[in-house]
Amino acid sequence: MRKEKTTTIYLGPQHPGITGNMMVKLEVQGDTIVKAETHIGYLHRGFEKLMERRNWLQSFTIVCRICVPEPDPNEENYARGVEEIEGREVPEKARWIRMLVLELARIQSYLLWYGGQSGSAGLYTIGQWSVGDRNYVLDLFEELTGGRVYHMYIWPGGVRRDLPKGFKSRVAKVMDYLEKRLDDYDRVMFDNAVFQKRTQGVGYIPPEKAIEWGVVGPPLRGAGIKSDVRIDEPYEFYDQVEFEVPDMYNTSDVWARALVRRFEIRQSINIIRQILDKMPDNGPVWNKIPNPHKWKLPRGDAYVKTESARGEFGYYVVSDGSEHPRRIHVRGPAYVHGITLLEKILVGQNIADVALIMNSLGTCPPEMER
Amino acid sequence: MADLIYENTVVNVVKEHFKDDIIDAKVRRQRRVELRTNTNNIESVLLFLKEKMGFLHLSHISCVDWIEENRFELVYILWHPQEKVNVLIKVDVDRLNPVAPNIDYIWPQANTYERELREMFGIQFEGLVGRHELILEDWDDLPPMRRDFDTLQYVMQNYTFRSGREDAQDVRETIAKRTGEEIPEFAKKYSR
Repeated sequence: MRKEKTTTIYLGPQHPGITGNMMVKLEVQGDTIVKAETHIGYLHRGFEKLMERRNWLQSFTIVCRICVPEPDPNEENYARGVEEIEGREVPEKARWIRMLVLELARIQSYLLWYGGQSGSAGLYTIGQWSVGDRNYVLDLFEELTGGRVYHMYIWPGGVRRDLPKGFKSRVAKVMDYLEKRLDDYDRVMFDNAVFQKRTQGVGYIPPEKAIEWGVVGPPLRGAGIKSDVRIDEPYEFYDQVEFEVPDMYNTSDVWARALVRRFEIRQSINIIRQILDKMPDNGPVWNKIPNPHKWKLPRGDAYVKTESARGEFGYYVVSDGSEHPRRIHVRGPAYVHGITLLEKILVGQNIADVALIMNSLGTCPPEMER
Repeated sequence: MADLIYENTVVNVVKEHFKDDIIDAKVRRQRRVELRTNTNNIESVLLFLKEKMGFLHLSHISCVDWIEENRFELVYILWHPQEKVNVLIKVDVDRLNPVAPNIDYIWPQANTYERELREMFGIQFEGLVGRHELILEDWDDLPPMRRDFDTLQYVMQNYTFRSGREDAQDVRETIAKRTGEEIPEFAKKYSR
């Protein structure tokens, strides 16, 4: 084979690396990638434009649909952005419930990731287990909010309804069960030589460049940099619970990112237990908003962010003083991870590892295209 | 009220260094600083904040269309990983001749944001390498995120409704027509 000769391969728009549709155009020599180019545009739904024509409450039903695997950070961001512009207070209990929902969402998102990450390394059993176990968390969501995937639960002023009777004990039961199951996942996934060999040294991000390149979330912590919005800029009551942010996994490859997530899912279980302890039993859960058709926000803007399972999830909310948002800009972590970062780190990798790397970065096309 | 030591430092240092080139600088709240400058100085302000002040992380670049004031407002949001402060830098761009400098040599990920803004708002970034379209393909209409782009009109001009699926039809009347039933008297006042 002549050295300079390259072949073009189109990976996607449908493929196992990610949840959603996105295409990566690869130039390969043999099976080594020499150039990668991300093409998006298969999933654009124009949410940001749509929200400019809706009132503030109608927009609330749209935001959760921006990201399929983890819709709750969207709801929480939107609600907090609106509250910041308006100066609306949120009842104490509602803020604890929001944290509970966010952490449950993180757990179910990581369980889905377990399936994707192990599946892209050829270990299909784990995916069956973790997606099965994820259903227990979705059951809790169904009981609490009425929806399994899209919840439309966290809204401006608080949350939509109080916890059902006995809900706390059912959450605690699921957490106990999941904690036991995580050890099983360790045995079949992290102790597995196939998984270790496929992930160690693959998809390297230079740690000294990571912040500059816009890396956030588990990939940044996998580079040994302690960064977490929950610690850096505590929202809700994250300053009142104790948890650790990992910085000991610093090899900055797919393996390190997997270990970070493995560590964090246990931390989330720990946080949920603290939330259940500290949450007040009684009290209002919603600071009532005015008639939505006449609900005007003062002119202003706010940038709010949460730590989603994939990293910093930001909302830039702008109000022009009318009943409609002037602009809502969604900053998803995948917007950077899936395009500029992926194009950089795929160079020199093997074709077979593309899905593995994409999954470890948490590439999620719905939040790139909004 | 938390003390805003670093937030005030940013405002003072930037004001002192850039003097009149900074139109406005203020602390919005804890961890939020807002600066306003113009397109001529935005590159030097961003470079100063990144290299001298340590705002290493570019969170995003956003754009707001203030059509009644005939301007686009570009918003650059930076984050300081050590001091934990976000700074919002706002720049006005003329709506009739929307040109702004390209900053993808400062942060590589700015490239994607600029490509999107070029497509969705029609803002030209000087020196942005013309790669393929990001989201829209073969788009020759008005950039769709502008306020004067009429979504409904675009749909009416470019698409047709399937017969029987016309928009905004009265459900009760349609069913009555199909089945040949009479609309009950009490329901007639709700029908259109």
